[in-house]
Amino acid sequence: MSWLLQRVDDRLIHGQIVVAWGQRLHPERIWVVDDAAAGSAWERDLMSSAAPDVDVQVVTIAAMTAAWAAEEEAPGGAFLLVRDLKSALALVESGATITRLNLGGLHYAPGKSKVNEYIYLDDADRAHARALLARGVALEVQDVPGAVARSLTALDPASAPA
Amino acid sequence: MHSDLADALLRAAEKVYGTVEGVDVLSNEGLSREDLEQAISRRVADWREGGLVLTDFWGGSCHICGVAAARGHGDVVVVTGINLPLLLDYLHNRDEYGPMALADRLIRKGRDSIRLHHGQTA
Repeated sequence: MSWLLQRVDDRLIHGQIVVAWGQRLHPERIWVVDDAAAGSAWERDLMSSAAPDVDVQVVTIAAMTAAWAAEEEAPGGAFLLVRDLKSALALVESGATITRLNLGGLHYAPGKSKVNEYIYLDDADRAHARALLARGVALEVQDVPGAVARSLTALDPASAPA
Repeated sequence: MHSDLADALLRAAEKVYGTVEGVDVLSNEGLSREDLEQAISRRVADWREGGLVLTDFWGGSCHICGVAAARGHGDVVVVTGINLPLLLDYLHNRDEYGPMALADRLIRKGRDSIRLHHGQTA
C-alpha cells in the first residue's frame, strides 16, 4: 500500500489535508514536494508541526523522484502534495506514476480565470493540465472527501486536449 | 479563521462585552497560502508593541500563515484554538498584559472553559 491521495493544493499542508482527508484516510506519511519549501529548514519544521501525528517529508521534485519506488513499496499509506500543476507534471515527466490527481486548491491570482470557488487557472496551468491528461493522468476537482469529485475537463472545457 | 468564523465570534463577543475596537477579523476564504500570509503580515507590521494572532485550529492554513507572518516579530504571538470564552478573556485583559503573558493566560482560560456537566438522573 502506498498512495492514498495525490493532490495539487497551493496551501500544501492545511486543515483540509490534516483534518478532512487525514482523518478519513489515515496516512502514515505526507510527502510535500516543493523545491522552495524543501530548501528552507524553517518551512520544513512548520509543515511538520502542522501535522504532528504524521511523518511529514518536505522534499524537492528530484528527491521525490528518487524516493518514488521505495514509497510505493512502503507499508502504510501516504499523501502526495504539490503546489501547482507544473510541479505535478515535472514529477510525472521524471517517472512518477500518477494515474489520478486530485485538484484541491489553486486560488485566485492575477491573470487566472475561475473554474470553481477554489480552482483558478491561467493559460500555463491549462497547458500543464493538457500535458498531464495526455500522459494518462485523470484530473479530478474535489476539495474535501465529502464533496463529489468532478473531472477538470467537465468543469473547464478549455483544459481539455484539442 | 475559516469561513466567517472570525466575524461571527467577534459579533457574539460584542453581545456580551459591548462594542469592540482594535480587533481585525480576517477569513482565509479564497486565499492562497501566499495571499493569506501577506494579508496577516500587512496587519502585524504596524503593531509596534506586538500583539496576538488568534486562529481557529492547529495545522489549518490560518494557523500556518499566522506563524509564518509572525516570523521575525518576536512580540507577535499566535494563539490557536480560539473559543468564545478565550476571546472574551482577551477583551477583558488585553490592556493588562504583554503579548506573551496574555497568550499564556488565554491558553489556560480557553482550556479551562471546556467542561463537562453530567446530566442528573430523575
